[in-house]
Amino acid sequence: MNNTYDAIVVGTGISGGWAAKELCEKGLKTLVLERGPMVQHPVDYPTANMDKWDFKAGDKITQEIRKRQPKQSRTNYVNTESTSHFFVDDNKHPYNEDKRFDWIRGYHVGGRSLLWGRQSYRMSDFDFEANAKDGVAVDWPIRYKDLAPWYSYVEKYVGISGEKLGLPHLPDSEFLKPMQLNCVEDELKNAVAKKYTDRVITIGRVAHITEGTKPGLGRNTCQYRNRCRRGCPFGAYFSSNSSTLPAAEATGNMTLRPNSVVSEVLYDTDSKKATGVRMIDAETNEVIDFKAKVVFLCASTVASTSILMQSTSDRFPNGMGNDSGELGHNLMDHHFRLGATANVEGHEDKYYTGRRPNGIYIPRFRNIGGATNRKDYIRGYGYQGGASRGNWTEIVNEMGYGQDLKEAVMAPGGWRIGMTGFGETLPYHDNKMYLDHNKKDQWGLPTVTFDAEIKENEKIMRKDIMVQAAEMLDAAGFKNIEQFDKGYSMGLGIHEMGTARMGRDPKTSVLNKYNQLHEVANVYVTDGSGMTSAGNQNPSLTYMALTARAVDHAVKELKKMNL
Amino acid sequence: MDRRKALRTIGFGTTAITVTPAVVGMLQSCQSQTSSFTAIHFSKDEFSVVSQLMDLIIPKTDIPGAIELKLPEFLDGFIDTILNKKAQKGIANGLNHFISVSLEESGKESVADLNRSDLDTQLAKYLKADQEQQKTWGKENKAYQKATKEDSNHNASVTAVAYAFAVQLRSMTINAFKTNEYIGENIMAYAPIPGEQKGCVDLMEATGGKAWSL
Repeated sequence: MNNTYDAIVVGTGISGGWAAKELCEKGLKTLVLERGPMVQHPVDYPTANMDKWDFKAGDKITQEIRKRQPKQSRTNYVNTESTSHFFVDDNKHPYNEDKRFDWIRGYHVGGRSLLWGRQSYRMSDFDFEANAKDGVAVDWPIRYKDLAPWYSYVEKYVGISGEKLGLPHLPDSEFLKPMQLNCVEDELKNAVAKKYTDRVITIGRVAHITEGTKPGLGRNTCQYRNRCRRGCPFGAYFSSNSSTLPAAEATGNMTLRPNSVVSEVLYDTDSKKATGVRMIDAETNEVIDFKAKVVFLCASTVASTSILMQSTSDRFPNGMGNDSGELGHNLMDHHFRLGATANVEGHEDKYYTGRRPNGIYIPRFRNIGGATNRKDYIRGYGYQGGASRGNWTEIVNEMGYGQDLKEAVMAPGGWRIGMTGFGETLPYHDNKMYLDHNKKDQWGLPTVTFDAEIKENEKIMRKDIMVQAAEMLDAAGFKNIEQFDKGYSMGLGIHEMGTARMGRDPKTSVLNKYNQLHEVANVYVTDGSGMTSAGNQNPSLTYMALTARAVDHAVKELKKMNL
Repeated sequence: MDRRKALRTIGFGTTAITVTPAVVGMLQSCQSQTSSFTAIHFSKDEFSVVSQLMDLIIPKTDIPGAIELKLPEFLDGFIDTILNKKAQKGIANGLNHFISVSLEESGKESVADLNRSDLDTQLAKYLKADQEQQKTWGKENKAYQKATKEDSNHNASVTAVAYAFAVQLRSMTINAFKTNEYIGENIMAYAPIPGEQKGCVDLMEATGGKAWSL
């Protein structure tokens, strides 16, 4: 077997898929390693066409699932009967918690690109300049202008649907036509526009094709089934499985190896470069070394960081590229699960068609200059939410039971609306993950321990999130407005970030402005671990842009013989 | 034969054929001859009471009712697969309270003697009570549930616990009804592949006043 390639990509999620596609299309023989089994688009989506009555109990999280997936089940939504097979067995893939951390994972080809929320937002200079301005952590080594062309580049391929707003703090993407607001959301939009000058309600920006097709393995317009997390037989939302991996495959340059658990990046002291990676075959336990000129770690924030921590040598006793000591620190997520809900009167003769896999979005309106600046906390939050019919509570109470009740529950029910805030979490040095070498996994590799929490700035912001949500619903005249805080622990946002941060100074950061390890130029890390701050936007789109940009850099450097 | 399987077979090859109530009736006649169902979470008598109660909550009209749709069987499976031990115990306890009040007030001796009319009287007492009374029972039951966490011998208002059971059974019956294949595919508005999304449409034009089943 040939064990030498031009490039190695570790991981096949959002970032790994992009790295594979870009490297292969630029002519590099590329080995793509994935720790989990193969998932082939669209044949490996066994539940894609099942209705809720085709499951034992209506597509819920069963007790049997809870036993296998006690931590995945903390979300209370991702791993129902139709999707649990795409999430890890927590007993087979254990981790440890000094403080509660909800680590939600899918180990298979495509990773979480198959399972993601698909909300896609650009970051702006309000984000890239934030750390420097606030004196928090370290400065991003890039600005919006560095990433803007790469956002455009990936968006044209992915297909992002949304509405152009021209906001400086939430730059527009290359949009396909937006999905539609429903009658009640439209009412809220108008009421908010009337009362506020600082905020706007728009449809969510999502990685769904809303018109035409996109390249890949059969990528068509969204059919509005809202069964995305099961895998989409129409290829309507962006996943590695439907898009980037088939593109890489089509070049003839990709070797995809599933069931390959990478344990470390190999280092050569003389050349001061990585020579390749060591992996364990998940099924046979065979250990194999692969060689390459360049290595892309795209295994997810926590996994890529773990691999670097495991990559010890005389030169790097504390993990590869960790001269700064920042590796594993500054762990971030987005805090959420709070906001407000209300009942809506009227519109009883109105309804909607299609199960829109999307909701409304309210872009950040705090700390973006002038009157929006707060004295009590820094950074900001956005809201996701939506309105729907399905409120039978009062109707059921009134009908009691019997024939009238039966008729009533077959009708659409009353309108309800709700929104939940997604807030920025600051990069705190003491929010960290580290390896426990005493507790090993089934391959003898150390397990990860989490020690992270939200702090004062986030807690103060959370109060504002609830109050502002309720105020906006009140502005629209909605009834029975209730604020809610369902509680949050780190990880639940499924936006882990920051554990190998980018920065200008090798003494305080792990990666440079091109996502290269400061100390090992031919190792790039382009997943969430490079994030210097979190913003409040859903981050996947930024990982895609960073990855495409990093590959462009790597290939140019290879040509210049710099790697 | 299994009605659900039969319906599925019909739906499979011949999507153009609508399953009419007559066809359903025919399918159900197969089912009524095989009443060999053994519940996991109820005794035979308890299951009979629960079935009757569910059939009172969702009775047969021109659309099949709870028993015909096998919602009690679904409920038993739901309790088994979805609920944890504590919630399962809560339901068993609630049903016990409900039955003991029913026996006392009807003057009957055993569960098997409770007929549909007895159960109807009980359901009406709880679910058609005025809202103030319902609120009071709700509060009493909450206090009881809280107290039993610390003291399992806590004395409950039996009526309040029975009331809470009736409310819970109603909610689970509605859930079972809406998770039913026949109802979802033939009675409510069924669109497995909508193909388009429109934000604001006329209800009558879109579905004739029905809710989407998915």
